[in-house]
Amino acid sequence: MPLDYRRFNGPEDSVSYKQFSTNFTRSYDELFKGLFDENGKRIDGREFTEARPLYTKTNVISQAKGSAYVELKNTKVVCSVFDPREIVGHQNEYSIYGQIYCEVKFAPFSCPRRRRGLAPDTDERALSANFKTAIQTAIQSTKFRNFQMDVFVYILEHDGACLAAAINAACLALTDAVVPMMDIFSARTAAVINNQIFVDPTEAEENLALMPTDNETNHGIITLTVIDHLRNITDLQQIGSIDADCLIKVIDILLEECAKLMPLFKDLIIDNVFEQYKEHQVYLSIKKQVNEELSNKVKEWTLIVKDK
Amino acid sequence: MVEEDLKDFKLKPMKCELNFLNKSDGSAILAQGETVVLVSVNGPLDIKSTSQNMEKATLEVIFSSKGGKPTVSDRFKENVIRQTCETAIFGCLYPRTGITITIQELEDYGGLLPTTINCTCLALLNSGLAMRHVVAAVGCALDEAGNLIIDPTNDQIQTATATMYFVFDSREKNLVTGFSTGTFGEGVYDEALERCRAASDLVFNFYRDIVASYCNVIG
Amino acid sequence: MEEYKVLQPFKYFNDHISVNVRPDGRKFDQQRSIKLNANSVNTADASSLIKCGKTSVVCGISLELATPKAEEPDNGFLVTNVELLPLCSSKFKPGPPSDYAQVVNNTVNDILKNSKCIDLKDLCIVSDKLAWVLYCDIACLEYDGSIIDACLATLMTSLKTLSLPHVIYDIETEEIKVDVNIRHPLKVTGLPVATSFVIYQSPDSNVALMDPTSFEEEMCGGNGANLVVCWNQGLLCGIHKFGGATLGTDGHKKLLNVAKERSKTIEEVINTCIANETSE
Repeated sequence: MPLDYRRFNGPEDSVSYKQFSTNFTRSYDELFKGLFDENGKRIDGREFTEARPLYTKTNVISQAKGSAYVELKNTKVVCSVFDPREIVGHQNEYSIYGQIYCEVKFAPFSCPRRRRGLAPDTDERALSANFKTAIQTAIQSTKFRNFQMDVFVYILEHDGACLAAAINAACLALTDAVVPMMDIFSARTAAVINNQIFVDPTEAEENLALMPTDNETNHGIITLTVIDHLRNITDLQQIGSIDADCLIKVIDILLEECAKLMPLFKDLIIDNVFEQYKEHQVYLSIKKQVNEELSNKVKEWTLIVKDK
Repeated sequence: MVEEDLKDFKLKPMKCELNFLNKSDGSAILAQGETVVLVSVNGPLDIKSTSQNMEKATLEVIFSSKGGKPTVSDRFKENVIRQTCETAIFGCLYPRTGITITIQELEDYGGLLPTTINCTCLALLNSGLAMRHVVAAVGCALDEAGNLIIDPTNDQIQTATATMYFVFDSREKNLVTGFSTGTFGEGVYDEALERCRAASDLVFNFYRDIVASYCNVIG
Repeated sequence: MEEYKVLQPFKYFNDHISVNVRPDGRKFDQQRSIKLNANSVNTADASSLIKCGKTSVVCGISLELATPKAEEPDNGFLVTNVELLPLCSSKFKPGPPSDYAQVVNNTVNDILKNSKCIDLKDLCIVSDKLAWVLYCDIACLEYDGSIIDACLATLMTSLKTLSLPHVIYDIETEEIKVDVNIRHPLKVTGLPVATSFVIYQSPDSNVALMDPTSFEEEMCGGNGANLVVCWNQGLLCGIHKFGGATLGTDGHKKLLNVAKERSKTIEEVINTCIANETSE
């Protein structure tokens, strides 16, 4: 890897200390056992089809046009959307579609197994591309022709289902930025390990789902994005080896889970609209007051001028 | 008191040649002690519309170190020089243009950045760009015994607990730019500032001598 | 008002300053409210999040092991990097760090080195064989001026809460074993606190504004703060002035004292935050 001249670099041969701890060198079976508690449930006490609660907050970044923060227990994601800007360098080409630029980045300290580099790696590029396909169908890009809109996602902490969290954050950030959209959308992830479906997997479960095994069982990760009202699947990402029957089963479960998120999003959006309406009313009343004061002053002055 | 102090100050011998490069609008090579820097100034030039400024000239500083590999601290040096020159150059006379300052480090035996700033100032004088004032950079070091050394040599910098560098303007002798390394007390800082302020006169005198001697050549 | 700010930014700003108030209603030497939180990111070995007004910065430390450099066999590594993400403001574009990001990065790194609060010898485990590498990654989530202050505060909070796992190194077999259950806190001496100022050249006199917002920085030259003063428990550990308008000697001294007072406040905030964190 070429040396990065624009940042401070550490020694080349450094490795995370976690590789030398006893937890690191566990076998597949040990790890698999570690996913369950004594009652046969998942280690955090969830059922297999139970998703983690979603915490959301919009308008977290004051400088952005719209922004959102999404938390799935330990997965923490921030997303910001900026005003459409002119595309530099292609002024002669007119396009009837606006362009969307997406970038998903992991914080260097976000992953539990190793430190991530600061320069974008292949994982991040793949994630960005997936993220873009998932969200761009929902955006009415003909409304900002010849302009480019930037959507940035930063993953502060990775504990599984990052892509789903990022897409959900993007949905809220885009609505916060009042970008014209077909409808709101949501995403959910499921992992399949040993034919068992884990809805909304943690990082440990995702890791195991992608681990190569000798026995020919279904394993992999599936992320599904769906537009609410149209019931359109905009993006389906599947990694691993899963047969068709299992895949269809997973899709059905995920569609249901995605639909469950909708009331939550709608409540949040409606609340935001109310709040902004209230703020606007306050703004209007202040403006009215200032205008009145000014016109009174003007009247006063015109009288003085006339007297003279 | 300041007058008296001035006699005690001795800066490292400075040697300078203006118009060192014949293709650039202004250039200077300056040696302060054993540290040598070459600066060329080009401008005002036409630049691409995205970086044009309606109000004033856009300054671009390119610093190349002796090793040739760019580092983060090189960008920091560029920033220090750009910000310093921005106050010195009368940029509002050249709106929508660019001024490029290219710096090549030739030898670094301590005090590279002050030498670079002084050399840049001389190159700007040579280029004939309108300036508000000239600037002079003076460095000082605090040794382990707590003594202040004006314009330290390389050995003194290596053993010093702190070094401070100041850049003054020629009109009010106000502090334009300052940077430091190491830790020091407030009193030491004040003393260093005053001493360097007094010592900056020597640098300004040097500028005058150089420009006067080149005046004859050009005239 | 908003229209006025957009159309006539310089006049808008000057109107405020001429009546001795800043656009956000603060006094000239008043700082913004600070919120500090430690260990909010579980995947990092130590982390903290700071919010100064509308500037928020998160810092996470990752620990790694490496062989020390041959020329300094007793020293570990301390690598700090500040990332100004495109997410935090429309000023920053995606891609490799801009020149400004590198300047911020270098300044933070310089202050940390000059304060000597971490002895690199403490990071060495076995001389010439094994040493800790502290990757301190600082990411800006919201950019509204005074970035260096925020970066340094969150970096110091993270360093102060950091503990190193116990390492057993077998010299003969070169085998490394790490016991994550035994942890030793890292020794941190001192607490450098940076304070940013911008100096505004108003028609009457030059005024200094403490803890500037992004808008104020833009009005005073446009490239971050003009003056960064760093105090480390009664001693100065870095004064960086970057061009811009100038101040007389008295004005300069006054700023040093203002910064000194502020450094005590920030120190208190950091210590309280860490005390709360450990008691929980």
